[in-house]
Amino acid sequence: MNLLAQAAPSTATTTAGANFPTIVFTLMVWLPVVLALAALVMPERTAEQRSRIRALGASGAGGALFFAIWAVQTQAAAAVAGNGGGIPSTDQLQETHGWLTALPFTSSYQLNASGVSLALVLLFAVVFFALALAAWKNQHRVKLLTVCLLTVETSFLGVLVSFDWVLFLLFWLLPVAPVYLLVRGFGRGEHPRAAGRHAAGTLVSAALLTLAATLISFQGGARSFSMGGTPVTLHGAGTGVAFWLLTAAFLLPMAVVPLHGALLDLEEDGTGVLAALFASLLPSLGAYGLLEVAVGFFPTTAVDLSLFFAVLAVATVLWSALAALRCDDLRRLIGYAGNALMGVVLLGVAGHTTIALTGALYLLIARGLAMAVLMLLASGIQERTRRTRISQLGGLMWQMPHTAAFWLAGILTAAGVPLLGGFLGMFLLFAGAFPAHRWATAAVLAGMVLVVGGLVWAAQRIFMGGEREAFARVRDLGPLELTYLGILVAVSFFFGIYPDHFTALFINGADHVLFPATYG
Amino acid sequence: MSVAGAPSLLQATLPTWILLLGALLTALLGWRVERFPLGGHRVIGTVAGAAAMAAAVGAFHGVTPATQVALSAGSGAVVADRFSLFAVILVCSVGIVAVLGSGTATERLGARMPGYHALLLTATAGGTVVALQWEMGALVAGLALLLPSLVGMVALEKTTEGAGEAALAQVAVGGLCLGVLLFGLSIIYGATGTTDLAVARTALAHASPPLEGLGLALTLLGLAFLVGAAPLHRGVLAVARSSQGAVAASVLGISVTAGGIVLVRVLVSGFTASLRPWVVLAGVLALVASLYPALVSLAATSVRRVIGLGASLQGGFLLMALLGSGTGRDGRPEGGVEALLFGLPVFVLSLMASLQALGILEGDGVGARVADLRGLARRSPLAAGLLTLGLAGLAGLPPMAGFLGRILIVQSAVGGGYPWVAAGVLAASLIYAIPILRILAAIFVEDDEEPALVSGAPLLGVLTAGATAFLGVVAMVLAGPLTFAAHLAALSLR
Repeated sequence: MNLLAQAAPSTATTTAGANFPTIVFTLMVWLPVVLALAALVMPERTAEQRSRIRALGASGAGGALFFAIWAVQTQAAAAVAGNGGGIPSTDQLQETHGWLTALPFTSSYQLNASGVSLALVLLFAVVFFALALAAWKNQHRVKLLTVCLLTVETSFLGVLVSFDWVLFLLFWLLPVAPVYLLVRGFGRGEHPRAAGRHAAGTLVSAALLTLAATLISFQGGARSFSMGGTPVTLHGAGTGVAFWLLTAAFLLPMAVVPLHGALLDLEEDGTGVLAALFASLLPSLGAYGLLEVAVGFFPTTAVDLSLFFAVLAVATVLWSALAALRCDDLRRLIGYAGNALMGVVLLGVAGHTTIALTGALYLLIARGLAMAVLMLLASGIQERTRRTRISQLGGLMWQMPHTAAFWLAGILTAAGVPLLGGFLGMFLLFAGAFPAHRWATAAVLAGMVLVVGGLVWAAQRIFMGGEREAFARVRDLGPLELTYLGILVAVSFFFGIYPDHFTALFINGADHVLFPATYG
Repeated sequence: MSVAGAPSLLQATLPTWILLLGALLTALLGWRVERFPLGGHRVIGTVAGAAAMAAAVGAFHGVTPATQVALSAGSGAVVADRFSLFAVILVCSVGIVAVLGSGTATERLGARMPGYHALLLTATAGGTVVALQWEMGALVAGLALLLPSLVGMVALEKTTEGAGEAALAQVAVGGLCLGVLLFGLSIIYGATGTTDLAVARTALAHASPPLEGLGLALTLLGLAFLVGAAPLHRGVLAVARSSQGAVAASVLGISVTAGGIVLVRVLVSGFTASLRPWVVLAGVLALVASLYPALVSLAATSVRRVIGLGASLQGGFLLMALLGSGTGRDGRPEGGVEALLFGLPVFVLSLMASLQALGILEGDGVGARVADLRGLARRSPLAAGLLTLGLAGLAGLPPMAGFLGRILIVQSAVGGGYPWVAAGVLAASLIYAIPILRILAAIFVEDDEEPALVSGAPLLGVLTAGATAFLGVVAMVLAGPLTFAAHLAALSLR
């Protein structure tokens, strides 16, 4: 694999693939919410009825996963074909239908996906499928959980493939009510406060995005809500204002320091499924926006402000690392680790090279998988032991060997160990960012060592030591848990062992962000 | 504007006459025929509304391509153009929804139901007058028909103390605003020497403030009442708080619809966006009208109050749309009129859906406090669903069309050069989403021990509320054709 050779964008054009109408993205995005509507009218009085609703939820997530794999596979093949000497076509699955055409500004139902989007589409679809299976254990308010989860999946996937601002904003704002209800309905502790803080954050980010979108669509001259015409050039201070609006909007869900409090509360106060959802996918959605939209629309401004991102990355990683080391709450520890990894992704943005951004994509996938595994496991441990603090645990290896094994796989994925998903991401990202920000890269690396140390130390305190009487009756993972955790870890191994399958696609995506003019 | 003869005047105002005839018939039947079925009044109202729409379409049939005006009558006082066609259809649709949804108010209104229907049709007729007018006298005549009818509809619920207070509040605030409006129009008449809005528009383009500016400001302030914009929203709040759900839905639906239409007709086609004083005032008023109710709603414990404040906030959005009613630097329109004409029906639909759903719940003995709605999704899934759709539309949450209406209005205001107003109003809209989320949490998440509700609401009322709520989603999907219709209507105003 010669990444550097692949990284340079080529200028020749080729046409790849059959050119016929497709509805893959439409099916992928809307299938979950259609099944959610079906679940909405189903009764949930008996166990059998609740099982039907759960099955519908798993079917929705499974269907979305099927179409996500289809889309990724199609575009990956196109990207590989394009490496023969031309720009790979990213429009094979594009869907465009006129929507608001009579107004002075136009908007269309436009779904498409670049390499950046597809990387996250795959992650989101896999994690949502695992969460739908994990939700099977839930016996309380089954319908509410299923409907809200499926709606959130539609909205998250919709954000990733929207190529029109109105659609993007619609999908961005769509989960605010379902997530609020999920946290209020399935949270613990101070969950109303956490739900309120998250809703407020989402609403603020939606407001910032709306203003940015209007600025871009008006000042860009085209008077169109289409997100296809990158890079964008605005008059006067417009570029700076729009870039900062977008950056602020996307940094909020990314939960980088100092905006990390709300996400940590959600992770701590939600049930296992919710904590995994928030830890794994919510920050990734923000990272997608930052990469694809903020940087993709204004690559030159992003280069000018790369020091800002580098400083933010260092602050996030070091703060999270130190907080993780002194943290005694199991879920909060994982949350800090997730924040630190998001700081590393920010370093990739600061690096502003194809290598760094490609690494950031691999790392986002690895981070999402690792966080989902660790949060689901942490939740399982807390439910079984009825302990939330790490200092109250110990010796669980004897009763929960499978849990320990999956935990290890999770922290090794997060740590970037070879053969697992995080390795290539870390390697490429640090290699790509180092030339531009040497000190920042070194500081982030040092911070990551502390974070990994904290995770390993926590694993030692949780699983090692002598067998404890209090945990003698604690059960290990059951078949269902082994299934969904197995899926997540298997995907991590797949990305670690066979990353080349996606390399051309991800490089294509990174190039599209950094050199949009080349791609038209 | 060409002068036309009497037949033309009759033809142009035929929708109004049909509705007044329907009102008269309803009143007579209610008065003279004992035990006339209530369903019969609904049939009369629905047929009258549909016939009025058909008459408007018929009048528009002879449109002149050059002027886009089909009929001009009464020395230009009334016109049948694309905008009036759009506006009449909108007003009549709201009237029909109000008529069909009135079933849940039967218990509260009792024998006064025929009178209520008669007033409802009269108010709708007033709405058609303001839709057709292009002259100050006709405008005032339309408002004179509209406002007393609305007050009467509220006052008919005389068995409850709150309804009487609401009617009194409407009289007080409405009277004040009508006075302010008349004062503003008088100043403009004095400055321009004409009551014809089209002529006044030309004269004002060369006029100099401050006198004309004061006239425009007072006119705007008076019209703001109709759309329920703060600080003149007391009447709206009183109706939302005290009237039966279906009654409140009808009164506020017709009032806001007519108000939006008058705003567009008078301030866009009459005074143009080139006159800065009223545009800036509209911006300030939009900010106040949005931020105040949004902030107040955070402390509200009554669902009715939250809905009333939402109506007021939507009034702020409608005012903001005026900021983008001019043309941009490139000479192309900013789309504010189209945004307003798309936003107006979807805002009204969500307002009516919320209140109609509350009306159903009220009939089933459920209170209007947020705490009363705990566990509603379990007790009455249908009512919970309807209320959710209505409230989501009111807050502009996806997938309701209120979301798109807000985006389009914000877009036009930014294009019009008022991003600060857009930012403020947008912030207000998002603040308002917080109390709505709290209500949804009470409905879906918070449990209580109350048994499941067996709804006694009439089927037609439930179906109407359901259709009104569901139309909020349909309007989102069909936004393309709807905005096209709005665009055609806007064309005749330029």
